Amino acid sequence: MKLLLALLLSIPLLAQAPAATPAPVTAPAPAAATPTPPTEDWLTGSIDLGYRFSSVGGSNDDYRSVVNLGSGPRLFGLDFTIIDPKKRLFDRLDVRAYNWGGDPYNTVHVNASKRGIYDFNFDYRDIAYFNFLPSFADPLLGSGIVLDENSYNTRRRMSDFQLDLLPGKRIMPYLAYGRDSGQGTGITTFETGNNEYPVSDSMFDKTDNYRAGVHLEFNRWHVTLEQGGTTLREDQQAYMSGFNAGNNTAPFLGQQLDLTGLTQAYGIRGDSIYTKGLFTASPVSWLDLYGQFLYSRPETNVSYNQLDYGSFVVLSSLLFYTGEQALEFAETKEPHTTGSFGFELRPLKRVRVIESLMTDRLHTAAAGLLTDMILSPASVAQTTPLPLSGMLVMNYNQEQVDVLLDVTRKLMLRGGYRYVWGDAEAPAALIAGVGLESSELRQNVGLAGVTFRVTRKLSANLDFEGASTSHAYFRTSLYNYQKMRARARYQVTSKLALQASFSLLDNQNPSPTINYDFLSRQNSLSATWTPGKRVSVLGEYTRSTLRSNINYLEPEVLVPELSLYRDDAHTASGLVDLALPGYSGLAPRLAFGGSLFISSGSRPTSYYQPLARLSVPLHKNLSWNSEYRFYGYAEAFYQYEGFRAHILQTGIKLSR
Amino acid sequence: MSSSPQVVVAAVFLGWLCWPAGAQTPAPAGQASPPATPAYAGSEACGTCHEDIYNAFQKNPHKLVDTQKRRGFDGKACESCHGPGGKHAESADKKDILNPANMPPAEADRDCLKCHLNQPTHIGRIQSSHAKNEVSCTACHAIHRNGPNGLVPRNMAAINEQCASCHTGVWAEFQRPYKHRLPEAAMSCVDCHNPHGSILRASRQTYAANEPGCFRCHGNLRGPFTFEHAPIRLEGCGACHEPHGSANPRMLTRAEVRYMCLECHANLPTAPGPIKNPPALGGVPPAFHDLFSPQFQNCTVCHMKIHGSYVSQDLLK
Repeated sequence: MKLLLALLLSIPLLAQAPAATPAPVTAPAPAAATPTPPTEDWLTGSIDLGYRFSSVGGSNDDYRSVVNLGSGPRLFGLDFTIIDPKKRLFDRLDVRAYNWGGDPYNTVHVNASKRGIYDFNFDYRDIAYFNFLPSFADPLLGSGIVLDENSYNTRRRMSDFQLDLLPGKRIMPYLAYGRDSGQGTGITTFETGNNEYPVSDSMFDKTDNYRAGVHLEFNRWHVTLEQGGTTLREDQQAYMSGFNAGNNTAPFLGQQLDLTGLTQAYGIRGDSIYTKGLFTASPVSWLDLYGQFLYSRPETNVSYNQLDYGSFVVLSSLLFYTGEQALEFAETKEPHTTGSFGFELRPLKRVRVIESLMTDRLHTAAAGLLTDMILSPASVAQTTPLPLSGMLVMNYNQEQVDVLLDVTRKLMLRGGYRYVWGDAEAPAALIAGVGLESSELRQNVGLAGVTFRVTRKLSANLDFEGASTSHAYFRTSLYNYQKMRARARYQVTSKLALQASFSLLDNQNPSPTINYDFLSRQNSLSATWTPGKRVSVLGEYTRSTLRSNINYLEPEVLVPELSLYRDDAHTASGLVDLALPGYSGLAPRLAFGGSLFISSGSRPTSYYQPLARLSVPLHKNLSWNSEYRFYGYAEAFYQYEGFRAHILQTGIKLSR
Repeated sequence: MSSSPQVVVAAVFLGWLCWPAGAQTPAPAGQASPPATPAYAGSEACGTCHEDIYNAFQKNPHKLVDTQKRRGFDGKACESCHGPGGKHAESADKKDILNPANMPPAEADRDCLKCHLNQPTHIGRIQSSHAKNEVSCTACHAIHRNGPNGLVPRNMAAINEQCASCHTGVWAEFQRPYKHRLPEAAMSCVDCHNPHGSILRASRQTYAANEPGCFRCHGNLRGPFTFEHAPIRLEGCGACHEPHGSANPRMLTRAEVRYMCLECHANLPTAPGPIKNPPALGGVPPAFHDLFSPQFQNCTVCHMKIHGSYVSQDLLK
């Protein structure tokens, strides 16, 4: 990737030669009466370089899980555009790269195009994923051991290339390639013999996605056909050597359970072919048609190998053993078909009818063999071959009709109906002793909406869904629910604009053993005020509340309980941007503001991110930029996870 | 004859429905009575008065309309949206030209869709909440702005800023500690959502034909697994995760893992009631874990392959 960046950085240098020669006139001079487009530089852009200082107090692991910005020299941003006056390889090349030089989020985007010939896009992202939160999974915290047994220190890298040929023509072929990969280490748990042992883990996965297709675009219809495929490679290994007492440190029937050696490896290989067919058509002025057919068939093959030594017990037979070897081979296929069809009908000037039908069908089938050998000093090795089979069936269907009525130029009313139905089948938990469990989905949804544009300065819209359900897949699925969103905008004066929004979801499942009562609300208000040319102010405030109650049976005592979850959050953000008194035609700018988040309820949390930014122009094309940002994070129930970080970054920005 | 009043009312109502909504306000002369043979002025004639817009337009993608015969507007890019401008060029009266900015969104969109309807971008439009709520094309696309990226922002920070200008509540969720990296501009809203609409709810992007767009970056969680965790396929990642942002670790929808798991795996069979038969998935049977013991307080310590397992039906390895 560094090589690629170096290559991209060198493009402006290589491209200097043609600019030295006078640009040829490529088009006849326009008539004197017509305007003349201004000439542009062949190269424009900017580079923003600097240094970041960071100081962290409190939990560094939590800081890395949430913010993860470090100290050091950085390329904060680079963007440039080259316009080739001779239009040889490209008409225009745009490159944007941000946060290079050790930052956790690196991005590059390149676009090169030659009008009517090609359009090429490349996108690359490298995102660090560090997650170590003791509050998440630390069964040993009571013993003073601070450890997250599900932690990660990985990077994910995504690359996407797309080449569109003959853009703007009637027939446009395209080719694309994408890669998504992840690599890193972490801590996972090895569960065996009535205990779980935190062990180190190394992970690697890579998915390559190849696709090609063609767009056929004509005035009254369009078809897109695409054929693609993916390949997956995933390797995961967990190793351990030495004594590991696991999470259950109490002796079991007088015997200490422990792990002294482990080798565990997953080798997963997969591939998929997929097909996409899309069409739109407008056969007559009052009818538009849409349809799509999507098919994919991913499959995976896995080989699993496990060898562990220590002191373990099989609970069901109270057999103590000292080692185990497991081997597994399995194959899974998942054909997945989706189709949709719809139309927009305009039978009358004021009326639009939108109808859509959709079906989504998926069937997972897996088969394999697991051979498990138990090694015990007291008896001969016991080998158990266990055939594995897994399956999941989903059939989802949806039909929806909406009628839109333009009552006046300013008022539109919408009403509709959606019927959702389907069924699903999945293996039950092993402990259930039932092979499969199945469920159905039957939902009637009423839809309504209003769009009201009182004037160009004041507008509002309201969206409502209300559903009655007779069957749902899960206890927490949408059941008898009302969903509403409302939004209004008001341009009070040329200097002040206000916006308010409100959303609500109320979901109830009154079944006696479920009693699910879910309510979430969100209210937002934002204002943009520009009292003068030198000042602008942006402020936003959001209040959100969430309530969720549901019945469950306390597992250890089998007593009915009510699970309660509450979240009551205030979020505010603001930014004041000031143009300071200038000199020599250059005006420094100062911006300050930031955001705060405070929540109470099931996990009271506060997170503050104030910032101040100063930009001082030193020359027409050179400025000195500095930014200070504070991150303050605290949790009432997990105080050891709080952190405070001061981040100062300063650098110069050179632009042309 | 007794039904005459109803017939009259029905006829009046039908006539009202057929009458364009715009006709209720005085329509511009050019719209109300277009000339029998529309007179085009040509883009260069437009540029003589609207020089700033004309100059900005030269590197705009829509400039292509001027050079292509495909749509029948070669040399008339301005009039492809604003209608024939011959009369306006003579009178310089704004009533003699169409201005999509002053038209109701649905009408303005029809103007754009004259050319853009039959394109792959609009395949999901029929299910898009933007279209149904009359968020017009020009709410996001600046038609006259200069440059190939002038129509719509391409830079991730600028894309997010544009979406957040309406979706303020959603952007507030990204100010929470655990979130996808949009505030850092490492991702943008359109990585996950297709603003033109999608076959999936909430205009979510698709990947590899019909897979949820989440798998574009989280390919290792796609499977298919020997043993699937059904909610992921049936209800999507949002069944357990709040992708915009959360105060809970791993962007979970609940503060602690056990409570989230227990909401479905409640150890309760579905009793007679509104859900009679078949029951909800995953509800039974009673498990024996002692949730008072820290060992069992986070289900994913043991059931670590919670997104699906290649080896264990109970998602243990």
